[in-house]
Amino acid sequence: MIDQGPSRHRIRLVLLFIAILVLAMVVQLIRVQFGPYAPAFAAIELVIAEQVEKVEPARGLIYDRDGRLLASNIPMYYLEVEVRQLTDSSKKQIAAVLSRVLVLPFEDLSAQLLHKWVDEGQFRIRLTRLISGGKRWPIVVDQIVADVLKGFLADPEAPDLSGLALVPAPKRTYPAGWLAGHVIGFVNQKGKGYFGIEGYYDDWLVGRSITVELGYIPLEARLKPDPPAGVNLVLTIDIDIQHMVESILEQAIEDTKSESGQVIVMDPRNGEILAMASWPPLDPNNYQPWLPREERLNEEVEESEEELVINPAVAGQFEPGSTFKILTMAAALDAGVVTPDEEFIDTGMIEVGGNIIRNWDGGAWGPQTMLGCIEHSLNVCLAYVASEKLGTPLFYEYLKAFGVGQLTGIDLAGEVSGQLRTPRHPDWTESDLGTNSFGQGVSLTPIQLLTAVGAVANGGMMVQPHMVRTVVGPEGEYWPKTTILGRPISAETAETLSLMLSESLGGETHFAHVDEYTLVGKTGTAQIPTEYGYDPRWTVASFVGWGPLEDPRFSVLVRLDKPESSPWGSVVAAPVFRQIVERLVVMMEIPPDQIREKWTGGGEDG
Amino acid sequence: MLPLIALLIVGGMYLAVNARRAQAGRQVLVLQKKQAELERMNADLTAMLAELTSPEQMLERALSLGYRPAKPGEVEYILVEGYPGPPVFVAPRPPASSSMGEGTLSPAYTETLGEWLLRWLSWGGGGGQ
Repeated sequence: MIDQGPSRHRIRLVLLFIAILVLAMVVQLIRVQFGPYAPAFAAIELVIAEQVEKVEPARGLIYDRDGRLLASNIPMYYLEVEVRQLTDSSKKQIAAVLSRVLVLPFEDLSAQLLHKWVDEGQFRIRLTRLISGGKRWPIVVDQIVADVLKGFLADPEAPDLSGLALVPAPKRTYPAGWLAGHVIGFVNQKGKGYFGIEGYYDDWLVGRSITVELGYIPLEARLKPDPPAGVNLVLTIDIDIQHMVESILEQAIEDTKSESGQVIVMDPRNGEILAMASWPPLDPNNYQPWLPREERLNEEVEESEEELVINPAVAGQFEPGSTFKILTMAAALDAGVVTPDEEFIDTGMIEVGGNIIRNWDGGAWGPQTMLGCIEHSLNVCLAYVASEKLGTPLFYEYLKAFGVGQLTGIDLAGEVSGQLRTPRHPDWTESDLGTNSFGQGVSLTPIQLLTAVGAVANGGMMVQPHMVRTVVGPEGEYWPKTTILGRPISAETAETLSLMLSESLGGETHFAHVDEYTLVGKTGTAQIPTEYGYDPRWTVASFVGWGPLEDPRFSVLVRLDKPESSPWGSVVAAPVFRQIVERLVVMMEIPPDQIREKWTGGGEDG
Repeated sequence: MLPLIALLIVGGMYLAVNARRAQAGRQVLVLQKKQAELERMNADLTAMLAELTSPEQMLERALSLGYRPAKPGEVEYILVEGYPGPPVFVAPRPPASSSMGEGTLSPAYTETLGEWLLRWLSWGGGGGQ
């Protein structure tokens, strides 16, 4: 017979062990359900039960035409604290470490950590910093600081940071800094795009967030679905040309002591914008001063007097002055009411609608051809052409065809339409016809003027300026086609006027001359209208031109506001055009006239 | 006795499969976290590279090496017949969105023994994963 004594004893022991285990489980269950941490477990249970998370796609990237990254996303981290995991030492150490690493007040951080959040039903808080005006803003750290803090969290020898958590979130960054800042715009901390490309294409770039079920339980793990991503954009901008243009503009602003300025470089054949620079520059990585007033964090900025103009190249209207004469002469030549050799006797004044118009120098230039009128930029002659030759209906019909007073439709947020009073306008008088003919009493944006003048450079065809070359989405690429805005003048008129402007340029200013290249252009010096009439002190100096004459590859507009060194466009804006073109022909690999003629004539090399 | 042994075998198999399933699921969660971390690191490095090759930085480095911008008269042009010019840049495509259905794991990682048995039986005993 087998002795069952020890076996029973072992069985009892096993049963006792199981009973203790079951009892422990019951105690733990009661503790979870009703103990001091019951709310925390309830919260976790709720999260798991809901099992949903909003997944934001990465915002689309922005490249220049050659693939240089202009806008991308980098990780940033919010600092959050799981208050139930805080210990007495970690409360002190977290405040001490963060105040030293981030240069923040220890007392403020400590107060946030010592606050009785649990009593208020909050178990996880996001640490904030105090900004001006008593407002608070979440503390955000970059990858480098995050790596340091993660190192501390993982190292038992490091300061005790128990309870601290780093929560990643994407941040928009602009690797080229302030370059093309006005063109690109910016994205705020909430991911909303403002101005420029970021504003115009916000819906496309942002993609679409989706709600997904969470997989906290390993047994229910599943791949997280990707939300529909935002598109990547390739701009028409060449960042090297942009850099060159911005550097030259900055130097010009300094040399001429101008208040502000803009330069646009466009390919007149297809409307691609190669560079668009504005001064003062906008740094999209530090966009606070450029935010709309109601969204700024800093109250000191909020109280500043002037609202900054974002991208004045498309949003800053000005009376163009003499550069506008290109359009008046184009209309007259196209309508066949004048020829380049037609003579006009300049007496130094003309009356249009009761208003006496004089030349820029107040002088009388005697017998002049239309070429001479352009070369010497004679207001009297152009007012004569508009009032006596073209007449009111035809003149305004042409201006409308050139898009004056209308949006160009460029794909940049914030474009304004400019102002043109036509005879239908209640405030229009006949004297407007005279002043409009030489660019006074009419306002345009730089992009409008360049688009209109671009028609002359492009054989009479006016194309829509645009910034995006390719849109790349998950399904494929989209190449926007060149949009023809119209044909305000014939190809013959465009050719005739281009020759006139090229010939007259040498007589008007020698500052725009570039050796071995035949260029076309016109200077402009415009008075600035105020509510009390025209400002007697300041001008807007400008230059618009293109080249090479036979095969235009670029058109350039230069605008300098309130230059102190000289008020004249021929003196301050024309040299800027020359400097830009001298670099542009090298960067765009445009050979001199002689070499191009040789090649087109069948030569083998230059 | 036999049914008890069969039950024990099935129970053992069930436990083993579930343990492997839980392990695989845990691995998926870890890998997902790592993927997110690597994606963040990649984005950070890409932005850093773009910053280092920005025109401002490149010009500074070129000038420090003794280069200067060429003037129009200093450039020599050679016509190369048939040269199409530099290739046009096309941006990389953003990741395609995957729906919940496309995003789920293979059943090998998620299904229970019972589900596997049902699938196996419905396919006539073949085609398991």
